[in-house]
Amino acid sequence: MENRRLFVFKGVMWVLAGLAAAVAIVRFTLGLGVSTALSDTTPWGLWIGFDVMGGVALAAGGFVMAAVVHIFHRERYHAAARPAILTAFIGYGAVAVGLLFDLGLPWNIWHATIYWNIHSALFEVAWCVMLYLTVLALEVTPTLLERTKFQKTYRFFVKLALPIMILGIMLSTLHQSSLGTLLLIMPFRVHPLWYTHLLPELFFVSAICLGIVMVMVESTVTSWLYRREPEMEMLAGLARLASVALALYFVLRVGDLARQGKLGLMFDGSSLANLFLVEMLLSTVIPMVAFACPAVRRSFRGLWFLACCSVLGFVLNRINASGLSQVWATRYVYFPAWTEFAISLGIVAACVLVFFFIQERFPVDPHGLAQVEAEREKLAAAPPAFAPFDQVWLGEGWRKATKVYSFVFVLALALGLTAAPKAEPTLDVRAVRAVGATVLRVGPGPRYVYFDHKRHQDEAGGAKSCATCHHLHQRGDMGTPCVVCHGNIFLPTSIFDHEAHVAALHGNASCAQCHGKGEPIRVTPVKKCSECHDKDLMAANPIVKTFDSRWAPSYKDAMHKMCIPCHQEKAKDAKLKLPNLGRCGACHDSGTQSEKAYTAEFPEKATAGGV
Amino acid sequence: MIEHPCILTDVTKCIGCEQCVAACKKINHLPPEGPPPRPGSTPDGLSADRWTTVVRRPHNHFVRKQCRHCSQPACVSVCPVGAMQKTPEGPVIYDKAKCLGCRYCMMACPYGVPHYEWGSANPSVRKCILCYPSLKAGTIDRPACVHACPTEATIFGRREEMVAEARRRLRAEPAKYVQRIWGEKQVGGTSVLYISDIPLDFLAWNDGRELSDKPLPPLTWGTLKQVPFEFVGMGVLMGSLYWIIERRRRRMEENAAGAGEERHGE
Repeated sequence: MENRRLFVFKGVMWVLAGLAAAVAIVRFTLGLGVSTALSDTTPWGLWIGFDVMGGVALAAGGFVMAAVVHIFHRERYHAAARPAILTAFIGYGAVAVGLLFDLGLPWNIWHATIYWNIHSALFEVAWCVMLYLTVLALEVTPTLLERTKFQKTYRFFVKLALPIMILGIMLSTLHQSSLGTLLLIMPFRVHPLWYTHLLPELFFVSAICLGIVMVMVESTVTSWLYRREPEMEMLAGLARLASVALALYFVLRVGDLARQGKLGLMFDGSSLANLFLVEMLLSTVIPMVAFACPAVRRSFRGLWFLACCSVLGFVLNRINASGLSQVWATRYVYFPAWTEFAISLGIVAACVLVFFFIQERFPVDPHGLAQVEAEREKLAAAPPAFAPFDQVWLGEGWRKATKVYSFVFVLALALGLTAAPKAEPTLDVRAVRAVGATVLRVGPGPRYVYFDHKRHQDEAGGAKSCATCHHLHQRGDMGTPCVVCHGNIFLPTSIFDHEAHVAALHGNASCAQCHGKGEPIRVTPVKKCSECHDKDLMAANPIVKTFDSRWAPSYKDAMHKMCIPCHQEKAKDAKLKLPNLGRCGACHDSGTQSEKAYTAEFPEKATAGGV
Repeated sequence: MIEHPCILTDVTKCIGCEQCVAACKKINHLPPEGPPPRPGSTPDGLSADRWTTVVRRPHNHFVRKQCRHCSQPACVSVCPVGAMQKTPEGPVIYDKAKCLGCRYCMMACPYGVPHYEWGSANPSVRKCILCYPSLKAGTIDRPACVHACPTEATIFGRREEMVAEARRRLRAEPAKYVQRIWGEKQVGGTSVLYISDIPLDFLAWNDGRELSDKPLPPLTWGTLKQVPFEFVGMGVLMGSLYWIIERRRRRMEENAAGAGEERHGE
């Protein structure tokens, strides 16, 4: 009765969309730092490499099929034109959405319309996206209007179709190549195997190849999902076309490398050279050779597999050129955070869902639509079949589907919000009283450790011992609130006024008084404050002896330096039989991400705690 | 404000005291060092809160790094909305009000200078602006970092003067210096020059191996100026192809129809 394959597939898409929605909330409230692994060495990541660079290339099917069907009159491919153009429209929409995620100030995205810089390749890209999105909307309109009562408007758009198609091809030519132009200014970042002055041309030709193979993927996947007869004749024709286009790309790319004398670089065994080989094999060589064999062109599975392989290869090409190959220069391997994958996948999933929605209601593929409608009618006519979904009766047909989809979406949203990274909070409280005892905050999260203040006070010598742990006001300063210096308790605070010291110690001649003679003058290792300000600072302090820099310690430093050494000392005393409260796990949850990061960075300190 | 302001840094004189860093932070109201840097931060120590930094090299060599204020800056040419601007006097400045946050400037800078406020939900690109507002207003006569330098390792003046001074020092002590002025010609010349007793290629990505004396913006402009011709050309090509193919198709249909009629008539 119902198409279980399609039902499960759509459910998975809804889960991905829900996860992305959760990450979107984090991204727009807390910023890029929390939600991505981007950094100053790698300012462009997955969202540019896949969503924008890859997305635009994946949408190339629209202009390629428009040219094949409407300019070259290859009627055989007519069935593929409308789905391809719809995909392009949705794909470009996805690129725009992806950009909104990636831009630091997305609310300024419209600025390119009023502030012009014609010297910027990105300016060209921005205009192409805006114009082509409009053109694609016009190209899709007839499909949406065909079966409505607005027949006059429909006929108007049909008449308009040809000039619009040509405009779309013109804009795509610019746009596909301008993504290559984007990288021309960075010969110092893009690896030589990818960098060439022909980048715009290569991006354009590879977009044509990708356009064709992407149409093949779409057609095969749709016929599998909807259990339709695959259009083998069309697929075989596309495969032949792809074979020729791929050969052209191969000759252009390898020829260009030969012209620059870079052929040797391909086989130098470095990981980037191998990446290049994998990319070329997947995207070009394997599909090119295989598509040329008639036996392969007759096999549905073969065509599907090879088209997927080529799509993967070309997406890898965009990712390599715009990011991965630049490891060569930055020497830092950026790996996207899971949140970045979630957004990229979520956008793709949302696109797929929109595509299905339109395809099941409008004549994108008339044969397919007839099939879907027949199934729908059959479902409506059939008496309710009492086949409960587990113990709960969810209804039949679209009712059940809607309920299940909403449920998985919300569930994924909730899971995503729980798992999404949180910002490092700025805290100005150090200890709070709860349930009658003092608890200390541990780390930036909402976690606390029990701290028996009275017992510590008693052991340190009663009411007079405050200064053992807490520093006092400085001389002549009796009213400064803690927060003035300790704005964020997790950061060290600078309380040192260098200029005042230089002036008080009679100018530049006094450098050596603090910085030492013959040593290069640098900021950190200077004379201990306490050497001069013994009496000004704090009372003689038996526990914390080494506040020696010009920085006031952070809360973390204070906690670590006060708690750990003393507790380790006590644990050594066999008579006391105390557990070692100086180890990390005494206060911190073990196995947390921050602990792992910490032990990876400072293995010696982690073991010194005596876990 | 003087025309073509320029900073000359003599690496042999720098003692690494970081007074320049402190002065820079003060005049630009930058916070003291924040949380530990993100993974993947630039190894030179520059950050959104630290617009100049002293890179420590082996054997007590200290190299102050800052924005180079190129004569033909790549960051300015790539900014789609002109948020990065080359002022008429020379310094390269940033206008947050226009910025989209695309970070293309960060990608295009051969020296990896612009840095981002990753921790903010309303982030800016931050980098040295050569104290442009204060210089322009006349409240200072040289950038804060130069003013703060106790050893005159970094000095300020018109670009021609600074090049002449650098040449003079190279000539006066040929054995001491590497005979090269970094920034004199690379990528079309920069307004921050260096002379040194150690090679300073590390200041650029990939040790500057892919950089020449040619400025970077023309690399893109060569393609971009073709855009109108490409656009129109493609339109003409597609239009005429359509016309030719359609005409041939119609002829063939007419012929077929004619042949059919003839056959019908027989």
